[in-house]
Amino acid sequence: MLRATLKGMAARKARLILTSLAVVLGSAFIAAALVLTASIRATVDDLSGDSYTGSDVLVQPVEPENRGDRLVRDGVSAQTLDAIEASGDVAEVSTTVTWMINAIGDDGKIVGALAPTMAVNWGDESVERELRDGRAPETDGEVAVSAQFVTDSGLGLGDTVNAYSLATDETGYEIVGVYGYSGGRNSLSGATELAFTTTEAQRLVFGGEDVYTAVAATAVDGVSATELLASLEPAIGAESEALTRQAYVDDLNAENAEVTNVIGYFLLGFGLIAVFVSVFLIANTFSIVIAGRLKEIAMMRAIGASRGQIIRSVLAEASLLGAVASVVGAGIGVAAGAGLTSIVANNLLDTAGTSLAIPWTAPLAALAVGIGVTVLSALVPAVRASKIPPVEAMREAAKADKPIVAVTVTGLIITLVGATGIVLGLNEVFEADRTNLLAAAVGAGVVFVGVALLTAWLSKPLVALLGSVWAWSFAGRLGRLNASRNPRRTAVTAAALMIGVTLVTATATLLTSVKESLAERFETSIQAELFITGPVTSSVPATFDPALMDDIRDADGVAAAVELYYDLAQVDGTEQYVNATSDLQGGLELFGGEVADGSLDGLGEAETAVNESAAEQLGVGIGDTVSATFSRGTEAHEFTVVALLADNEDTDGWYVDPSYAGEFYTPKPTTALVDVADGADVDAVTASVEDILADEPAVSVQNHEEYLAQVTVFFDYAIIAIQLLLALAMIVAVIGVINTLVLSVLERTRELGMLRAIGMTRGQTTRMVTVESVTIALFGALLGIGTGLLLGWAVQQALVSKGVESFAVPTALIAAYFGAAVLVGLVAAIAPAVRASKVNILGAISYQ
Amino acid sequence: MPLANPPAPQITRTRSAVTASNVWRAYGSGEAQVVALRDVSVQFASGAFTAIMGPSGSGKSTLMHCLAGLDTTDRGSVLIGDTEISGLNDKDLTKLRRDKIGFIFQQFNLLPTLTAEENILLPASIAGAKPDPDWVARIIATLDLSERLTHKPTELSGGQQQRVACARALATRPEVVFADEPTGNLDTRSSGEVLRFLRRSVDDFGQTIVMVTHDPSAAAHADRVVFLADGQIVEDLHRPTADSVIDTMRGFENRVPLAGEAR
Ligand SMILES: Nc1ncnc2c1ncn2[C@@H]1O[C@H](COP(=O)(O)OP(=O)(O)OP(=O)(O)O)[C@@H](O)[C@H]1O
Ligand SMILES: [Mg+2]
Repeated sequence: MLRATLKGMAARKARLILTSLAVVLGSAFIAAALVLTASIRATVDDLSGDSYTGSDVLVQPVEPENRGDRLVRDGVSAQTLDAIEASGDVAEVSTTVTWMINAIGDDGKIVGALAPTMAVNWGDESVERELRDGRAPETDGEVAVSAQFVTDSGLGLGDTVNAYSLATDETGYEIVGVYGYSGGRNSLSGATELAFTTTEAQRLVFGGEDVYTAVAATAVDGVSATELLASLEPAIGAESEALTRQAYVDDLNAENAEVTNVIGYFLLGFGLIAVFVSVFLIANTFSIVIAGRLKEIAMMRAIGASRGQIIRSVLAEASLLGAVASVVGAGIGVAAGAGLTSIVANNLLDTAGTSLAIPWTAPLAALAVGIGVTVLSALVPAVRASKIPPVEAMREAAKADKPIVAVTVTGLIITLVGATGIVLGLNEVFEADRTNLLAAAVGAGVVFVGVALLTAWLSKPLVALLGSVWAWSFAGRLGRLNASRNPRRTAVTAAALMIGVTLVTATATLLTSVKESLAERFETSIQAELFITGPVTSSVPATFDPALMDDIRDADGVAAAVELYYDLAQVDGTEQYVNATSDLQGGLELFGGEVADGSLDGLGEAETAVNESAAEQLGVGIGDTVSATFSRGTEAHEFTVVALLADNEDTDGWYVDPSYAGEFYTPKPTTALVDVADGADVDAVTASVEDILADEPAVSVQNHEEYLAQVTVFFDYAIIAIQLLLALAMIVAVIGVINTLVLSVLERTRELGMLRAIGMTRGQTTRMVTVESVTIALFGALLGIGTGLLLGWAVQQALVSKGVESFAVPTALIAAYFGAAVLVGLVAAIAPAVRASKVNILGAISYQ
Repeated sequence: MPLANPPAPQITRTRSAVTASNVWRAYGSGEAQVVALRDVSVQFASGAFTAIMGPSGSGKSTLMHCLAGLDTTDRGSVLIGDTEISGLNDKDLTKLRRDKIGFIFQQFNLLPTLTAEENILLPASIAGAKPDPDWVARIIATLDLSERLTHKPTELSGGQQQRVACARALATRPEVVFADEPTGNLDTRSSGEVLRFLRRSVDDFGQTIVMVTHDPSAAAHADRVVFLADGQIVEDLHRPTADSVIDTMRGFENRVPLAGEAR
């Protein structure tokens, strides 16, 4: 029996190669994901290993940030530094002063979009900096810059660079040196860097206090890191803590592992989707192959093969195929993982070298998944094959389609079960969030399977509908008829594309709806025409001089202008958003906010207004007093609540007088709104406001559209990222459609020969196969788009209470998905169509 | 070489629909070479029903395929009407088959996705042409298929399927219809129906038909029987009856070894 299986496999090489491509792809993805994750982690670990090389113990402030992220920084005190230097166990000490700053590039804009710009002290020896040009900064007005900064800013040696931090005003520095890092790198992980004298770095980071971000100490010979730690711990001040460098690197690695794990899960998810899709492909191929061998199998049964033997022979074929394919897949996956690692490492992390890590789980998982999936997928066709009665050998091969009632009913039930799961999960019926999420996710997966089973039933009407596009061409009509000839086969083939398209459509629909909801709320609630803000991605929030607000208010055509200061402060011991503005009443009007209770008339120095739910959270009402400490403040201030504001996402928070802004995280306003007077020319007003702000390069004047585009830019990135999945789905779908078509063409050789004999041209034959292919692909896309829109809508409905009020259809993307489906159909049709058009007429018609 | 001179082609007034002159066709090369047709010259008159007979492997199908432009000849020429087909490329040959030739196969070869009617109109549809509705209606009536037009091939009996195939072959009024053992898969009754229809289409519609058959009683429906043996025409019988065909077959079966010796 095994020999017969092997011989059979040898005779069907082309089919097997096609089938195995799906397995190869799935297992390659899994192996690649695992290798990439492990390698990036190893590479990043190496990178962390670079920091503070040579030192043994690090001393850091206990709480580097006062409150929250990005707030005013604390450092290791000078006394602590003295104490460390005085220790007899310490051989060498290096100090680090560093944090994010904003630098203005040659184009007047803030340098760097996503990677931060860092200020460092040149004297810091914990990082190896190699001077390439010029010299080190010697005075506070001088700076050396990293080579990456030169590239990103357009500035160079001898130029003056303007920079500022949260603690300083914009200052000009002369660039006296350009440096790189060990290994010829231009940057560390893509960040740009400016190296100042230690005092200037302290001014930028700590507002001039003589403190340090970190102090690294190297032990004298004979003293171990732990011994040094023990001897330093009693010496350092209460503001600081000491840890060995090893512990520091371990912490850093653990932090990085969290990020790399997310990347890994993302890739593994892709791999699993590819595997899920290949189940359909493999099952389909085995079904078709078995259909083609109906007579052969019946003959085997007639001459005495048992049902078990038939099943075993199919499964043996599947395991062999799965094994070979997953070995190839694992190999490709490991190689791809390694290649991707070096691309990621060189382009995104900018590391000196990459460390390739191949976890043993990678090939193992690829093999297990590849073989497992192939055998499982072949199970149903194998059992079906074993049920072929021996009399089948004597009957004519051509038979009517098997009924699809059973599949359809099963599909309906499964779809309903999945839908129930989604509904339950989205309505948070279960107690644990995790259970809800799981119910929704599993439900979505189950819906896929259900809809996939329903595809056979849906294929007749939908394929007919899609095929009507080609009604004008007879060859096209034949192609369409061929596509609906075997609903099961068409359905399973289309399902491969459906799954990917469903996922991207659902995600794109949801993201578009979120975007649209934001835009809609924005349009209806915000009265101001112009916004003055800086880029959302800058390291230090962009600010401008509040004195300019008077000029703006005085400008022609400006009805009102309101500036906003922002802080994350401690109010009655909890973290709260605090805003300040010189014109709260005007600000509320422009943002569409309302006073619910009390009065805003003359918000005094010791008075505050707050939105209702924030007041409720602290249990305060009108007339009550709260105590607030601002980010840079050293003491608490008392405020009496005089007004409650209606809840409104755009105006929520506490409002105080701008005289406190000096104690805010950003002492200058970060945003301003400008209301253009009715009848005034918006463009002209924009131009005059821009003129007023000419000396404030960090901020720009934007209209509604520009501002929205800036706020929603992350959604655009997310939508683009998710399209990668589409590419994967397309590749798998192409393989699936080729597979089905090649097998169909083989099956219909005789028919093709007849058509060619009675006068069908090669061109018509090609068109016929192409139409079949495109129809199947479009059918898949249609199902995917339909299911995806439904899923997207379901999630959007569930999120209405969270502010996703509008349902928006990403029409352009959906049009693109149809385009992609046509492309899949066209690409997949090439080989089968050529094969069909070259069919040997004589061979075909005399073939029994 | 008694058989080296095939019977002289009939010089008749009637225009000839298909003319083969000195056609050679060999398969394979070297030791394994099989000469399927050796120097065959034959004409098929327009409006006549000709049967081709001969032992298995004698080259009947090969001759038909060469005449129909499905197979290429090694040497010699084939004319369909006035068109020389030897030099035509695939595209022109396809067009020629589509417009001038009808086919009836032993295996019926209908498209399972199309109804009987659509199958009948298939060649016209492929050509993007509108068939003459009166003519098609007449054929359908003659073949007694009116009740079956909306049926798919799987819902038809073998005889009905072959009648649909006959209708398909005639629907475009081709110059000539080639039928390779059209009754090979049918029972006596169905065979009779198909043969009577072929006969009628010649008598009533002036159709030209060339039919390969193994069955002497089928050949008896023809106006003329051409006998092939070992790739050569060995006999040409006019106005055959079943008996005369059987006699002739007996006759040349005895002579076949001679042909073998002549090699
Ligand atoms: N494609 C081919 N390759 C090789 N030899 C072929 C091919 N086609 C036909 N032959 C050979 O040519 C000879 C004539 O074959 P052909 O099919 O014309 O015979 P036939 O008279 O139609 O026989 P039958 O009555 O069995 O159908 C045979 O010897 C056959 O083996
Ligand atoms: Mg034959």
